[in-house]
Amino acid sequence: MAAIAVEERLFSLVLALIATETGLSRDQVLSTVQGYRQRYVRDKDNTGLERQFERDKDDLRELGIPLEALDPYDHVQARYRIPKGLYDLPSDVRFSPNELMLLKLAATVWREGSLSAESRRALTKLRSLGAGASDPVLGYAPHLRALDSSFEPLNRALDRGEVVAFRYLKPGDAAPRRRVVAPRAIVQFDGRWHLFASDQEVGATRTFLLSRIVGAVVAVPRSTFEPDPTLTARLALDELEALWQSNVAEIDVEPGSDAAVRLGKRGIAPADAASPRVSLHFTDLNILADELAGFGPEVRVRSPESLRAAVLQRLAGVAALHRDPPQPGDPEQHGIPEQHGIPDQHGIPEQHGDPHVRPDREQR
Amino acid sequence: MPGALRGPDRLAFLLALVPYLQDHDTVSVTDVAAHFDVTPERVRDAVTLIAVSGVPGATNQYQHGDLFDIQWDEFELNDRIVLTHLVGIDDAPRFSAREAAALIAGLQYLSALPENADRAAIASLMAKLTRGASAPPTQLLAEKSGSADALALIATAVQADVQVEFDYLNGAGEHEHRFVDPLRVESVDRDWYLRGWCHLRSAVRTFRLDRLVDLRVTDRPRTGQPVSALPDRLFEPSAEDLTVVVELPESALPLLADYRPERVTDKVHTEKVDGDRCRVRLRLASFHGLKRLVTGLPGTVTVIAPGEARRVVADWAAAAAAQYETPAAPTERA
Repeated sequence: MAAIAVEERLFSLVLALIATETGLSRDQVLSTVQGYRQRYVRDKDNTGLERQFERDKDDLRELGIPLEALDPYDHVQARYRIPKGLYDLPSDVRFSPNELMLLKLAATVWREGSLSAESRRALTKLRSLGAGASDPVLGYAPHLRALDSSFEPLNRALDRGEVVAFRYLKPGDAAPRRRVVAPRAIVQFDGRWHLFASDQEVGATRTFLLSRIVGAVVAVPRSTFEPDPTLTARLALDELEALWQSNVAEIDVEPGSDAAVRLGKRGIAPADAASPRVSLHFTDLNILADELAGFGPEVRVRSPESLRAAVLQRLAGVAALHRDPPQPGDPEQHGIPEQHGIPDQHGIPEQHGDPHVRPDREQR
Repeated sequence: MPGALRGPDRLAFLLALVPYLQDHDTVSVTDVAAHFDVTPERVRDAVTLIAVSGVPGATNQYQHGDLFDIQWDEFELNDRIVLTHLVGIDDAPRFSAREAAALIAGLQYLSALPENADRAAIASLMAKLTRGASAPPTQLLAEKSGSADALALIATAVQADVQVEFDYLNGAGEHEHRFVDPLRVESVDRDWYLRGWCHLRSAVRTFRLDRLVDLRVTDRPRTGQPVSALPDRLFEPSAEDLTVVVELPESALPLLADYRPERVTDKVHTEKVDGDRCRVRLRLASFHGLKRLVTGLPGTVTVIAPGEARRVVADWAAAAAAQYETPAAPTERA
């Protein structure tokens, strides 16, 4: 364990690189900067220390510190510096107590995972501006979760501009298929996380549900992409919204039931207590089918036929799985014959990459 | 949580602390700790480190003038910080692309709250965050969280310091009329909850906003407990809870996080393609909730024991499936 703490080395590195106009070479950094110089051996092998410097540079960039490399393709010749103008928070970026209150609340939205750490760091930076936040009227504890294990690697790849590969199980397909994509945005719509990405094989954008990514997301070695300012999270949300608008399910709900209360509120027309009929917009047929199955006999699907079949298949499967005696070793027994399998891919986000094709395929 | 900070987080604190100290001629350690929401020890450690740090300087020797300096007597005797010499940095650092993105997505999600419904204000705040980031924020947004009407009514009641009333269909399927002192609104992704002092139960209760029927602001003053009486978790298990054992794929475990599953066995070897399955023990208030949970995750979660739980789930699913056996006819169900 080195005598000098990590943060002292990193802090000294930032100060040294801000102070230099012309930049410091790697050897200059290693031989003069606090935390490196103590371990530097002149005219000897400093490989370990060089690797440390590489990792430290990554850490600074992760923190949003604009580290510039002049002549970056030559490790010996390259000179490093932090331009002060790009380091300092612009002077017009200042926040009112009300805005700070909102930002504090926004940071608490993430209570776990790397986004929580990043929000906390952003708050630390905000606090250096000195102002205190006002208190919200009502106590709010909003919480966004990213339970999908693919969230973190995708978010990292998004930041670094890395092409990634993963296996994706499209509903209706028997087995997952490998996809290679350039991630453009990650959005939560209607409670589900979606990846908006340029599919490298199709040469068009596609939207993937994170919950259907099977196994690990891996960065494709030496494969990066250029940012495209037109492919935004807003665009991804607009496409999902349009898809949501174009899909309509008609269901009957049992009056007075949990389904009547909760689904009635989401209905297109204001729920009419006398009528059991509710029309719902949706983005993904299979997700809606899961949810509707959860309401059991309180819900009866009328249309579309594909949704009706999907819900029935789920219910029959659950009933079969729970019929005695327990058959824990045989979860294959799904009780319903082949032809009831998910009949088409009505409303699956994965296939609506091209907006020109979409209306025909989705409406039906 | 603050004890286990990584190097970069500690660095961010140092970089934020310097400009703050520069703006405050003299400030106590405890005030700084309160402002940054850290322990006084961390502030003292950071100030001690800053005070001996600097740049290599012309001599590469870290001479006195190349270092930060503080009034050591004030610091050591009075626990106050007076920065007397500054090196290199004098302004707050920018946000990273991901830091800005995390806050922007959080803001977007919060815009469902009626207080934050001022779209223009939110948009201007997002633009500021974008300008304050050292690279374009990563594209991350969250939308469609709903329940805006109920949220607005609750906020109105809180401002007027009065109770709300509503009909509620509870988790066991019973309708009841409730008077509640609203204490806090919580959400998990798209689900929103009201937590408050329930006058019917004389206890703190959690209500799903989408289960409130005929929500109204009353003119009865709030009389109940302070917010500090709220337990941390939305749902606390109680002694009367039922225990069930379920089987599911390892990868699906996060879906049951709210029920705090305890592992029974590690892996159950099957021929399934979707990876290893495991068995966990869950605690639930009633089978009423269990049947909804299991049929809502069809094919993913299977109840193993007790037999009664399996039966309840099978009956619920079978009754639902049976509706489709007769051809669709309008409004045939009683």
